[in-house]
Parts: sequence; C-alpha cells; structure tokens
Amino acid sequence: MPEVTVPIGPHHPALKEPVNFKVIADGEKIVRLELDLSYSHRGIEKAAEQRDFIRVLPLLERVCGICSHSHSTVFVKGIEEIMQVEIPPRAQYIRTIIAELERMHSHLLWLGVAAHEIGFNTLFMWTWRDRELVQDTLEEMSGNRVHYGMNEVGGVRCDLAPHQVSAALERLPFLEERIHQYTDMVNDQQTMLLRFKGVGKLSREEVLNYGAVGPTARASGVDYDVRRDDPYLAYADVPWNVVTDTNGDVYGRTCVRIGELHESVNIVRYCLENIPEGPVRINAPKIAPDGEIMSRYEAPRGELVHFIRTNGTNKVERIDIRTPTLANWTSVAMCLVNKNLADIPVIVAAIDPCLSCTSRITLINTPGGKPGIITFDELRKRRQISDKGRGLP
Amino acid sequence: MSVLVEMFRNLLTMPSTILYPGERVPIPDKFRGRIAVSDEICIGCSKCSLVCSVQCISMVDSPREIRFKDKILLRKKKPAVKLFKCIRCGLCERHCPTGAIYLKNELSDSGTDKEVIAA
Amino acid sequence: MTGLLPGLVYIFLFPGFVFLVMYALFFEFIDRKITARMQNRVGPPFVQPFADFIKMLGKEVIDVEGVDRKVFDAAPVVALAAVMTAFLYIPVFMSSPFGFQGDLILVLYLLTIPTVILFLLGWMSRNIFSSIGGIRVITQMFIYEVPFFLALLTPALMAGTWSISEIVQWQQQNLWLMFLQPIGFIVALIGLQAKLERPPFDIPEAETEIVAGPWTELTGRRLALMHLVKDVSLVTGSALVAALFLGGPVLPWVITPFWLGMIAGFGLFVVKTLAVLLVLSSIKVATGRIRIDQLNTIGWKYIASAALFQVAIVLIINYRWVSP
Repeated sequence: MPEVTVPIGPHHPALKEPVNFKVIADGEKIVRLELDLSYSHRGIEKAAEQRDFIRVLPLLERVCGICSHSHSTVFVKGIEEIMQVEIPPRAQYIRTIIAELERMHSHLLWLGVAAHEIGFNTLFMWTWRDRELVQDTLEEMSGNRVHYGMNEVGGVRCDLAPHQVSAALERLPFLEERIHQYTDMVNDQQTMLLRFKGVGKLSREEVLNYGAVGPTARASGVDYDVRRDDPYLAYADVPWNVVTDTNGDVYGRTCVRIGELHESVNIVRYCLENIPEGPVRINAPKIAPDGEIMSRYEAPRGELVHFIRTNGTNKVERIDIRTPTLANWTSVAMCLVNKNLADIPVIVAAIDPCLSCTSRITLINTPGGKPGIITFDELRKRRQISDKGRGLP
Repeated sequence: MSVLVEMFRNLLTMPSTILYPGERVPIPDKFRGRIAVSDEICIGCSKCSLVCSVQCISMVDSPREIRFKDKILLRKKKPAVKLFKCIRCGLCERHCPTGAIYLKNELSDSGTDKEVIAA
Repeated sequence: MTGLLPGLVYIFLFPGFVFLVMYALFFEFIDRKITARMQNRVGPPFVQPFADFIKMLGKEVIDVEGVDRKVFDAAPVVALAAVMTAFLYIPVFMSSPFGFQGDLILVLYLLTIPTVILFLLGWMSRNIFSSIGGIRVITQMFIYEVPFFLALLTPALMAGTWSISEIVQWQQQNLWLMFLQPIGFIVALIGLQAKLERPPFDIPEAETEIVAGPWTELTGRRLALMHLVKDVSLVTGSALVAALFLGGPVLPWVITPFWLGMIAGFGLFVVKTLAVLLVLSSIKVATGRIRIDQLNTIGWKYIASAALFQVAIVLIINYRWVSP
C-alpha cells in the first residue's frame, strides 16, 4: 500500500487538544510523523507580567484546567521564597491536601481517558464517577470543583472547618476500595493488557535522554520525584513512597499512576488527621525584592517549573512556565515511529498531555506571503468567494 | 473478573448520574456562585475593584449620599459587577473589609446576559 | 402459509418490514439501556432510538465532492434489503414459511452484504479515515467470517439438514445445540460480535483512531439507514443464534390451539433474542478495542481452531454414533 498522510488533530475525536500530527502511514504502520504543537498560544506569561501578586493568581490557575492548584502553588512558593516569608504550617498542610486531591482527580481522569482511547468506555465512566467523590471534597473545601482559588501569597485563602475534614475522611475508605478495584481491573482485563503491554516502550536511557518527567519517567525506572528530592509544602513530614515501575510502557505508566493514587490517599489521610492548629495565612509584603527563582513542583503530570524574576515591584518581571507535557513530548514523538496506527491515541494519552498549557510560541508559516491583518469584513468576503467557488448559495 | 462483578452490580443498583434539570446535586456552603453586594454595609472603599482579577467590578455612584443643608457633601460609591465577565475567583470577597461583597451559594445559569450588573 | 396475502403480510407487516424496524429500534434501546446501566448511567429514554432515526432521516444529506451520488444513496438501501431478507428465513413464531433446504447458507450470505457495503462506502468516501476504515472492515471480515461460518454450520452438520427451520425442529426432539456444541456456541457469539463491529471488535469504526471509519462521510438518511442496518443485523444475528443454538421459538411440547402456540413461540423468540443481546451487550461493556493485528492473531490462532475443533467433534460423533 502506498504511504498515506493521516491528519490527527486539531479536530479529531481522539485528542481534544490543539495539536496536529501529520502521520505518514504505510497501511497500519507509522513511517514517520510531523508534529505541530502550538495551535493555541494564549500569551499567559505576558499577561501574568501585567498583574500584581494578588491578581495574577486566578490567571495562573487557569493555565491548566486539571493542575490548576499546581500552577498557583508553584508560583506562590517561588514568590514566598523570594520574599523570604515562612507560611504557617497549617497553610502548608492545606496546600498539600488540595495538591494530593488534585493529583487523585487528575490520575482518575487519566485512567478513564486512557481506557477511552482503547475503546473501553466502561472504565471511563466508572473512573469519572469515582472522580466525582474527589471533586466533591475539593468543592466543599475550596468552593469550586476545578479552579480552587486556595492560594495566596502568604498562606491559603480559607481554612478547613472540622466538618469538612471529617467529611473528607469519611470519603477516603470508599475511594481506597475503588482504587484497589482499579488495580485489579487493570491487571486482569485482557483487552487492556493487550493494548497497554509493550506499547510505547521507553527504556531508562531513552527517558533520561529525552528528559521525560513524572509518571512517564518513573514508569521506566527513573526514581525521581520532586516531592521527595526537593521537598516542599508538608511532604517532608508525611511518610510516603515514590512509586516506580520497570515496564516502561503504557502498562507501566498505568501502574505508576494507580500506585500514586494509593499514595495520595495515604498522604491526604495523614494530612487531614495530623493537621496542625494555627493561622492559615500571614500578611505577606505586597512587594517582592529583586530576585530570580526556579520554582519546582511535582504536578500530576510530572515536574512543573516556573522561572520567576522579580524587580522590586508588586509584579513579576518575567515568568516562564515549563509544563511537564513539554518535557514529555519528545519521548512521545520518538516512541510512535514504527508503531501501529491504532496505538497513536493511547501512546499520546499515556503522558497525559495538556497542550494548551504547553503552547509557548506561535509559528506563522507564510511561505512567500506577508503577514498581515485581516478584518472581519474581509474574512466574510473571502468566505463568500469560497462559497461561490464551491457552488453554495 | 472484577469488571464483570462491577458490571452486574451496577445493573442492580441505581445509576449515579442524574437527569439534570429535574434533579440537582446539593451545593456546598462554600460554593463560589453568583456575586452579590449588600448595599447597607458597603463602605465604598473600592478595594474589590482594585483586586478583581478580570476587572469586572467598577465603582458607580450609589444613591446614598451625605448631605448638609441641601448640599451633597459626599456621594458614596458602590461596586457594580458585570456578571458576564466575572470568573468567580472570590478575590473581592477575600479582600472586602466588611463582607459587603460576597459570592452566593447558588449555581447561576449559563448564558448570563452580557449587560446584567449585580449591585 | 399459502396464498399471496398471508405471504405479503409476513413480508411487510409481521414479522417482516414494519415489525422488524420497530423491533430493531427497540433492540437498540435495550442495548443502550443495558450498557448505560452497567456503566452506572441513566441511559436513554425509550423513544430515543426512534427519535434519532426520524431526526436523522430529516437531516441534510451532504455529498462529498467527487463521490458517485447514486451509488452512495443506493448502498445503504441494498444493505438494509439484504439483512431484512435474511430475517424472513429465520423462524420467529413458527417455522419460516419461506424456508427451504439451504436457507442457512443464504442467510449467512445475506448477512455478509452489509459488511461489503460498508467497505464500499468507506472506499468511495474519498476520505483517508474512511478508506482506512474500509480496509479494516474487509480485513476483519476475512478474519471472523471463517470461524463464524464454521460455527454456524456445525448445527447443520449435527442435525443433518441445511434448513434453519428443520434445525429448530431437530432441537425440539433433541437437546438444545448450545449444550451439545458449547464451543460452537461461544465462537458463534464472538463471531456475531465481530460481524456487528461491536467492542472489542469495533476496529473499523474506532472513534479515537480513525474518527468513525467508513461512517465518517455518511450524513442524513444514509446515516440513518446504515444505523438501521446495524440494528436489524443485530436482531437478525441474535435471532439466528437463538434459532440455531437455543432451540428457536418452538416449545418442546405441542400447544393445542394453534394461535396460542404461535404466541408462546413469539414470546420465546423475544426472550431468547434478548438473552443473546444481554450476552452481546455484556461483552461490549466488559472489553476494550483490540488492534487489527492482535485480532488477526487471535482470530486465526484460537477462534478458527476452536471452530474447526468443534466441526471435528461433530463429524466424529456423526460418523461414530449417528450414521451407521
């Protein structure tokens, strides 16, 4: 069969993300592929530079719809380090609880999406059903399901009431049981094993070469987790383990994520039970001194880095966001070559891509043309001409 | 096997989804819903409009004024919120010194009119 | 059933065209409802499949540039005609009045036509997703067709007749073939699932890989008709399996008034087809989609071998105990 180009994305049911793969396939085999990442450059970094530390947080939360707490925490953590303020331990614990709950809902979401990519919609429905429990807890604690708005420079915005703590603790045993069930399902559901095992394999060396992070790296045996190696928030106090796996394929990544679900439940339980009393915030200065910081954080998808430079005002001079998806992309592109066409969705989904968060540049491809501005009227005129060409009224 | 067990157990139990417009899920107390301003305790400090992350709060003249012998000495301001722009981040509520501006615990309908202003 | 009028009633009213369409849409409802409840969802209301069908009939038909419109319009109708004809030979409340020696072969042949039509639609769509889907349809057909046919022909071997109605009558005197040929029954169910392109064999229309496969460019009434073809195939396939392996609509004893026997037979038909549907829906819910190369391995290595094994057993039994 001659080579054909299969366009996947930006409008495709598999990836509801602004990315375009031009897959050149020979029958069912992928020969090579071209990636086009930046379809939605949102200019968040520039917008963040225009706002003071209070107003920038809702914006940074909206970098990502799933790891919203990650982005605000990593920023706040960096700013607090520059300001050299120590936030109260209760605030640290509350941030940790929210962060781990977020990791749980992100991983449950991922498990459902991965199952959906191989057509196993049942698991998708079930994980998303159980994810509601986590979301309910988050909603009770913070007031919103996705954009929690918990962080501010100097602490957290609202305290946890005792009834919220007990309600969250009540939900945990059921959640734990469900997670155990998912472990069983992943290990004995034949079609899932067929589609996950040996697919998208990355060796330890390849992972280190391409700089993959997070569950993708840990599935290949790279024992690296920012929460342990550079402890922040309350992770140093909490007993927990880094989950690694040696499979290196999609199955390994699933195992790592399910293992992390278990760990997250334990961390949340420990934090809820041992949460110290005290204030939840201190009055932080409005202005940060000159400084540069590289703030790291283990988001559900991997290591998230914010580079922050301040210049003695109440705004950042420069903020650069490196999302985990960007670090993982190269490994995806590498392990797709020579694979089956049917494996694209599951391999891409295995890194839990979040592309809108990743887009940092806009490529304007104008071969032989000039960039310019098109007004709406002109756009409409062009549409009419094109309609006429196609014989439409 | 665990898949089959779960499948047939679900067949015998009630579904966990709801038929939305008829049934509603309970909304927690802390829920950040539609914004509201209580005029009586607002002191017109305009802090909310300064911290609003999307700048949807503007200060407008309020009918409350301080008069002295038919002369308006001071006309108080009050916040007006463009609900369409509001992202319910809750910063105004957090920074309001008197608690006059707050987010109600109710799910406002989608498609709020662009011109609706809460006051 | 002699005479023109009863024959026409059989073809057009009951259990032919009108009943079949209604029953097929009802089947889709049951299928979706079972799936939804197993996935812990509420599921669609009863009229949903009917409403979908009528709505889609009224939608605009969009022609792809450069596609032969007439063939594109005709293909779903041909497919629908084929599966509806196949249903006429399957006993519903008594032996089919059109049955003849060899109608089993005809039914299997007619059931293959929608698959070929689907391939044609995919190939004609001038769309890369459709073309890949079409190729997958035909590849998958070559994989499941052999074990499926072998599994459905073993009842004929055992009963010594090529007529579905006679196989049903043979089961009336003996045991159900489900118990006599368990391997064949399982292979038939798997083959039926593959023929209907339901998970884990929904490879040709894998939503997350190739959008909708051959269905991508179908719109309006073409899409409605192809959905109906799928539903009718589901009914026909379930009825075929019910007739060949579950004893069909015939009770082991004779009920005296003829009409009461007919009603009981129809009740049995409904119960047995729904039982087959429950099994098919459970498979659909419990599995993900496998890859075409994995299906190739599984299909030829295991399923075809199992079917051949079943044929061998039946032949040995026939040779050893029945024929002499």
